[in-house]
Amino acid sequence: MILVVLDHDGGKLRKSALEGITRARKLAESLGGEVAGLVVGPGAESAAEEARNYVSKVYLVSGPDWETYTAEKWAKAAHAAAQAAGARVVVAPASRTGRSWTARLAYKLDAALLEDTLDSWAEGEKVFATKYSFLNRVLEKQAAALPVVVSVKPNTTPLAEPAGAGAVENLSVELGELERKVEVLEKIVESGGKVSLTEADVVVTGGRGMGSAEAFGMIEEFADLLGGAVGATRAVIDAGWRPYSEQIGQTGKTVQPTIYFALALSGAVQHQAGMNKSKVVVAVNKDPDAPVFKEADYGVVGDIHQVLPAMIEEVKKLKSA
Amino acid sequence: MKYVAIIRQVPDGESKIRVDGGKVDLAGTTMILDQMDEYAVEEIIRLKEQHDGEAVVVAFGPERTEEAMRTALAMGADRGVLITAEGYVDPITQAAALAKVIGEEAPDVVFTGGQQADWDSQALGPAVAEALGWPSITWTTAFELEDGHAKATHDLDEGGEVVRVALPALFTTQQGLNEPRYPTLPGIMKAKKKEIKKIAAADLGVSGSKVEIVEQQIMELERKQKMIDGTKDPAAAAAELIKLLHEEAKVL
Amino acid sequence: MALDFSLTEEQKQLQQLARRFAREQVAPVAAENDEKARVPWELVEQLYEIGLLNISIPEEAGGLGLGLVEEVIIGEELGWADMGFYTIPMASELGIAPILIAGSEEQKKRFLGPLTERPALAAFALSEPGNGSDAAALRTRAVRDGDHYVINGTKMWISNGKEADFNVVFATFDPALRHKGVIAIVVENDREGVSFNKIHGKMGQRAAPTYEIVYDEVRVPVENRLGDEGAGFKIAMLTLDKTRIPVAAGSVGVARRALDEAARYSLEREAFGRPIADFQAIQFKLANMKIGLETARIYTLYAAWLADRDDPRHISASAVAKAYASEIAFEAANEAIQVLGGYGYVSDFPVEKLLRDVKLNQIYEGTNEIQRIIIARDILKALR
Repeated sequence: MILVVLDHDGGKLRKSALEGITRARKLAESLGGEVAGLVVGPGAESAAEEARNYVSKVYLVSGPDWETYTAEKWAKAAHAAAQAAGARVVVAPASRTGRSWTARLAYKLDAALLEDTLDSWAEGEKVFATKYSFLNRVLEKQAAALPVVVSVKPNTTPLAEPAGAGAVENLSVELGELERKVEVLEKIVESGGKVSLTEADVVVTGGRGMGSAEAFGMIEEFADLLGGAVGATRAVIDAGWRPYSEQIGQTGKTVQPTIYFALALSGAVQHQAGMNKSKVVVAVNKDPDAPVFKEADYGVVGDIHQVLPAMIEEVKKLKSA
Repeated sequence: MKYVAIIRQVPDGESKIRVDGGKVDLAGTTMILDQMDEYAVEEIIRLKEQHDGEAVVVAFGPERTEEAMRTALAMGADRGVLITAEGYVDPITQAAALAKVIGEEAPDVVFTGGQQADWDSQALGPAVAEALGWPSITWTTAFELEDGHAKATHDLDEGGEVVRVALPALFTTQQGLNEPRYPTLPGIMKAKKKEIKKIAAADLGVSGSKVEIVEQQIMELERKQKMIDGTKDPAAAAAELIKLLHEEAKVL
Repeated sequence: MALDFSLTEEQKQLQQLARRFAREQVAPVAAENDEKARVPWELVEQLYEIGLLNISIPEEAGGLGLGLVEEVIIGEELGWADMGFYTIPMASELGIAPILIAGSEEQKKRFLGPLTERPALAAFALSEPGNGSDAAALRTRAVRDGDHYVINGTKMWISNGKEADFNVVFATFDPALRHKGVIAIVVENDREGVSFNKIHGKMGQRAAPTYEIVYDEVRVPVENRLGDEGAGFKIAMLTLDKTRIPVAAGSVGVARRALDEAARYSLEREAFGRPIADFQAIQFKLANMKIGLETARIYTLYAAWLADRDDPRHISASAVAKAYASEIAFEAANEAIQVLGGYGYVSDFPVEKLLRDVKLNQIYEGTNEIQRIIIARDILKALR
């Protein structure tokens, strides 16, 4: 059995879940066995109903103990499901939370962790995967013997189509002392962006050259138009204009969207590390020698306060056409 | 009270990475204490300054990791323990060895960077916590020690949360938690006398690696570098850009 | 087996610290401080916080008691980032050196102790409007009056000057005695009669404060005199024999910066269908910069090593290092401008500043002509 842990947004399967199913199916083809899914937490019942259309069995873990996420709880649930399924491979999303609890799960299973993979496949009894390393500059091929936990990098894998109808099985997982050690006091809702940076197809990042926190209003407007997320450079964070959660770069987040807009930022190496695998990079800067232009597919030299509003108008025109 | 930071030595971000014979070749590359781990080291030194106790740095890596450890000691940590092993060892395997050493140290709290700049992995912290049987909180941006507990703010996938955690526990760090201090020259000289205990991983019953690195290659995407002049007519430049994105790149 | 060209672990860490500070804190503000001729006190404070300021102050006075090798390691890194800024801590060590050479234990504690307690600078006041190289012809007068000297005169081109806590002033109590009539005396800046005029319009090193100092009937206690009456000139020479070595280190830093900028640019700039780095004309320029900076660096470290051991060969070696390093650095900066072409000529790019800055390295702390006199004297002394 291959177990795939399916992230859902209050009952609706996320893109990452469908990517995970594709990966799990591919591994099941080579290693044999079927694909089982796991849904945990609030809304899991609806998620299970959707998931049963993709996998042969859905384990469901829910209840009052499972209303809030902690890494310890999710690792425990995944462990219980893996054992119930007799799974020697567990596939999970490489979201921030995913990368946190899958590490715990791998330790529990005494399994190899193939983390944040671009692709994964089996050859004989070994699982192979590719991932980036050295601040996204190196492509690495890794191999591990079973058991294996594979986490899937967002936006790397085709979304699975429904196939068949599986059964849903409630899995009762008792919380131990460890799983009760973290108490969630307060939720902090992200101000600004509504789309998750690491999952976004479009990221619009502003740098120090935007000039002020207020100028980011334009960036937010542009991002909204394109259904994208807002990013910021370290300089912008240091200036207090945007929250840490939007930082892209070596000590911030790494993103890999289809389009990355680098606006009014110079393009320091630390920033590049966070976005250099974007499919298409667009840069706008008033300095024709800014390093960012070397890392861009399309570069516009000009004043951001004139070019960006014009870009917004053009996108509006394109959308209405 | 005792505070531990797990650190890693990685190539300097400004260094060019070279590949030789299908593997990354770090010979001659400047190696530094990972920037993300610096937040962890800074935090344990602050806790020691505020609440007294001992600040200990622990690492798993080849012999040269000692240099990064000396940097942490020069910043103000009290002593270090280095588990030595040559070659690539995956985080899950490392966690077993680190947990043995940290378990014996019996600290109140452990910090480590959220992700390190060579393996690009976020797994070490949570795996060590699992091995110790402790809770783990990742991407911490604020931390306060209370009695037998810690209050922390950390990132989730979207937004964040404030948690109260029963100690001992492990926290992974990122920018925003603190401002790491530079080591000082007097610190560098004092660090010379501070203890770095070395233990071979094999002596802890840990050997090999669950994950093998089969091949590495430099992956730098070729960029078109197509330039548009928007200094005289920004509107026309914007129009051309959007047109190219729509018709040529086909991403809009 | 003794010859060993490696740094100790601590020296390597020192180099890493200095390099990081230079890259992260000094380099980003260098152009602005140069343009505005602004003294970056916040950088001086940071330098103090990380323990890189005034490192030669002995442990007995609360300092680190480090030597010229350590100063050279720091000097190359700070010189790489901004030679103008580096002149500030360098000139402070220049002001400390006479006290180390000729001061009593009590004087070392009295003058140097306070420099360890907060970010503070020393300075060295030898040159005057009418004499630089002809140091023995100095005219600042020190007249004995009971248990004080009364100082009258003007000093010129004094680095740090007003920004320092004190200047070590070289004054004559009897002009007829020429170099045998000089005293070295520590004059605190807040004594009555001391006034400062900042020198403006410098070609380069504009972050470094340079002053004309006027001493008008300034009363200074005899206890502030370093060494004996008549020993002042010797003290000045012994000081410069050592302190010119960090100047060489700063020059090496400038040369390295010139090479870094030129090499990087040559890979990015294209002409005739390829990066200009492919052309031999450019490659030869880069190679020449490298030849200069590698030889200057090793020789500067050698001179520092000799000086730290008080090996008499350091007198000539320091002169060789100082003259040579400043000359190869000037050449390197000049060629870097040439490689960058039009972009090398404008202040948007960092290379024109390198030339303006390092020119001074051929002039101050003993002109390169004076260095050659010292070297020649040493050659001939052995043969006479």
